[in-house]
Amino acid sequence: MQINDDVSRRVFLGAMAMSVATTAAGQTGSVPRRKLGKTDVEVSALGVGGFHLGGAKDQAEATEIVHQAMDAGINFFDNCWEYHDGVSEERMGIALEGRRKDAVLMTKVCTHGRDKKVAMRMLEESLRRLRTDYLDVWQIHEVVYWNDPDLIFAPDRAAEALLEAKKQGKVRFVGFTGHKDPEIHLKMLSHDFPFDTVQMPLNCFDASFRSFETQVLPEAIRRGIAPLGMKSMGGSGEMIKHGGVTPGEALRYAMSLPVATTISGMDSLTVLQQNLAIVRGFKPLSSQEMTSLRERCQELASDGRLELFKTTTMYDGAEGRKQHQYPDAEKLPA
Amino acid sequence: MGEEREIGVDSNVCSINRNTPLRNVVHLSERLQIVPQQEATGSIPRRPFGKSGLTISALGFGGHHLGDAESAQDAARIVSEAVDGGISFFDNCWEYHRGKSEVWMGGGLKGKRDKVFLMTKACTHGRDKNLALQMLEESLNRLQTDHLDLWQIHGVSFDNDPELFIRPNGAAEALEQAKRQGKVRFVGFTGHKNPAIHLKMLATGFPFDSVQMPLNAFDATFLSFQSKVLPELNKRGIAVLGMKPLSGHGDAVQKGVLTAEEALRYAMSLPVTTTITGMESLEILRQNLKVAQGFQPMNPHEMKELEARCRPYAADGRFELYKTSLKFDNPEARLSHQFPLDDQQAEVKEMMKATENTGRAFPKN
Repeated sequence: MQINDDVSRRVFLGAMAMSVATTAAGQTGSVPRRKLGKTDVEVSALGVGGFHLGGAKDQAEATEIVHQAMDAGINFFDNCWEYHDGVSEERMGIALEGRRKDAVLMTKVCTHGRDKKVAMRMLEESLRRLRTDYLDVWQIHEVVYWNDPDLIFAPDRAAEALLEAKKQGKVRFVGFTGHKDPEIHLKMLSHDFPFDTVQMPLNCFDASFRSFETQVLPEAIRRGIAPLGMKSMGGSGEMIKHGGVTPGEALRYAMSLPVATTISGMDSLTVLQQNLAIVRGFKPLSSQEMTSLRERCQELASDGRLELFKTTTMYDGAEGRKQHQYPDAEKLPA
Repeated sequence: MGEEREIGVDSNVCSINRNTPLRNVVHLSERLQIVPQQEATGSIPRRPFGKSGLTISALGFGGHHLGDAESAQDAARIVSEAVDGGISFFDNCWEYHRGKSEVWMGGGLKGKRDKVFLMTKACTHGRDKNLALQMLEESLNRLQTDHLDLWQIHGVSFDNDPELFIRPNGAAEALEQAKRQGKVRFVGFTGHKNPAIHLKMLATGFPFDSVQMPLNAFDATFLSFQSKVLPELNKRGIAVLGMKPLSGHGDAVQKGVLTAEEALRYAMSLPVTTTITGMESLEILRQNLKVAQGFQPMNPHEMKELEARCRPYAADGRFELYKTSLKFDNPEARLSHQFPLDDQQAEVKEMMKATENTGRAFPKN
């Protein structure tokens, strides 16, 4: 179904989000579960972001975050080969020991144009650090440079690695992620590669600025690819600190979109508990509430000051910069 | 070459990239008027400034780098030799080196003001008309003149800048007023970020005389001003001011992808009025003069070859960081849009010094 009119499309999305969440919410007080695209897997509507786990005080706290999250019904765990030079994966691996099968575990590969062999080596490293012999989801990390799609789909590069890992039974599902520009995501999707998931920034500011919500989300849904939302509060809480929205409004907006899960970074038990309070017995916003929040955010959204991952290099990782010969974060902070 | 002949464009005069769609090539043929104005070998060609009937030198003197000269005396010498060498177009900006670039250029142009076409820019970045007019007075003071030949809106880099520019009480009204008062002859805007933002500025319907943008062999294939904005300006008869011929700080030249001469010749071979480049020393000025004096444009084949050589490096923007990062966005732009400042930028360091690290606003000069 193709609806071109923006307004009716938004209403459509809003209605869709509502139906997804109300059917999935089930028992009040628990974190709702949703289907991961066309797969038979159900994931929690809130996912634990791996980057922030590496920023927790120590292993004990990281373990506690993972355990309390699981006890509350969260089963989706995000990570990445390059987060904190492997510390994020190691911490998650230790925390998941004995509970691996209850988690839907995702990590990402950081080839940035390099060939399949590099990807397969990174996969082995990730598996070792995560103390497991398979991933539920393996994604290509940080597709943020304009030529990344061309490089990824060149012969013997990352796209082929995804297929091979799947064939070997080392990963169940595959996808990609990026935070820069909807056009780059659309270029990735245009290859008709059998992606199971696609991760992107989704928040109440994105809706009005270089919008993944309006440009990529409908396309992912049309293709039956599970959308994974991220940066619901701006990446580092920018939208809370400077954007006049509460964590509750920000997270509820992101989760009310038709996504499989919303990945949120939690580097302390306090943040986890704060998120759980919002998410337990989650009721999606009505389409009017979503519209009014979008409108409230529109002016500050219009130059991207609170979505610095789109407008600066602040959120571009070291590995990608190196491969694309960009200056490092010290020389090119933003 | 036969391709161009068919539609009546002499490639010696106005080199056209073979990638240029035919639709645009036809518009470019309007630039045939360059022919009679191009001078004999040895001098810098002059080209028409839009529909004004005036001509300016095909090489323009960038104001930012002048602030990097050793001293005011050195700066004056560079300016003076540039004028003598046939450069008539001088670029500047209210915020370059926190005013130093304008002050030094003003000193260098003493007694030569009437020989040049002087441009500077206002740094409103979405803020009010009155701020722009205040900046204009400061610029005139520093440049020691009572009028500008061209006044442009600086750093149109953010997606909402066009709306903020055209809104009631916005900078557009300042451009109109300054022109009406005879303080500026022509008006325009500049930006280095995204062709879509330039097109949005044009879509405001404001009668711009000039538009400045990055034009170089990397831009040809990456988020390209050359393919998206240049033809539109040629069609409208708006003067095109090319900048960043070395794609910013010349990293690509340093890494050996192309030579400085190739880079400059490529940019000057596009259908532009002038190509602005920074010259902080006599040595660099003389190198540039060597390319520009008796300039012969590249032929389409040479241009295409250079584009092909640059293409693999162009594709992720590594040599055009002004498009993909905040690196080239000056503090006025960042402050008014509340983006993080870069404490390594000359202007920011000078700002901290001028305010004794207190964060107080810049004292009036």
